[in-house]
Amino acid sequence: MAASIAPECNDIKEKYDTCFLKWYSEKYLRGNTTSNECEELFSKYKSCLNKVLKEKGIDQMLEDARKSNSEVESEYIRRT
Amino acid sequence: MRVFSSTCTFDYSWEEVSTANWRKYCPWNDKSTHVVAVDTLSRTVDLDTGILRTERLITCNQSVPQWVLSLFGGSATSHVYEISYVDPISKRVTMCSSNLTWSNVLKVQETVIYRPSPSTPTSTTSFNQEAKITALCGGWQKIKNKVEEASVERFSQNAKRGKEGFEAVLEMSRRVFGEQRENENSKI
Repeated sequence: MAASIAPECNDIKEKYDTCFLKWYSEKYLRGNTTSNECEELFSKYKSCLNKVLKEKGIDQMLEDARKSNSEVESEYIRRT
Repeated sequence: MRVFSSTCTFDYSWEEVSTANWRKYCPWNDKSTHVVAVDTLSRTVDLDTGILRTERLITCNQSVPQWVLSLFGGSATSHVYEISYVDPISKRVTMCSSNLTWSNVLKVQETVIYRPSPSTPTSTTSFNQEAKITALCGGWQKIKNKVEEASVERFSQNAKRGKEGFEAVLEMSRRVFGEQRENENSKI
């Protein structure tokens, strides 16, 4: 797996990524789309990551990007 | 604005490709070394459609032509914001990326789609990539053209290396999954 932008989050990221990949290949792709066994790892990883994004000012850049993306968004979430 | 596009076919099923895609930038990929970090920002499954939506932050560290740095300043570290959608029913992965760094100078919008190839849908996957590159800096058209040209050139180099690197990840994934399965079977 790729590293995190924040080295201190690497361990928890690795755990989450491994959990996600297992869920994706063994459950999600086989039709079980609603289970969420990786949720707890993800929220730990996110709280580690969000601190660093804030420190680096990346959270603001993301906010701006999200705003300009909101129009295109709806076209993909619907099935074509 | 300039458009860069490329298509290719991977000799792996859509399930394999869409799974390996999550670890495209791992140590098995020794070609895309400009990607130094990939972080997941959010992930949700739409209850009605089953579509998996993921937001990621991709951090790159790459050599930028010196004249670009002296014109616009900044560092060689850049960030890309990516939203992807996996539709497990129609078997389609769509990834939309845009640059966060230098976005006041240059706008790069990339869309990538992975879907089963029409001819052999169970064993091969088609890849379509399109990038729209627009220089926004005010002033001379000549400079804008030059910036766009250099960006397209860099983009196409990265795309070629990206494909080579992803092939290596696909091959390793198949081997490792095969070994895991063998181990599990021998336990039984």
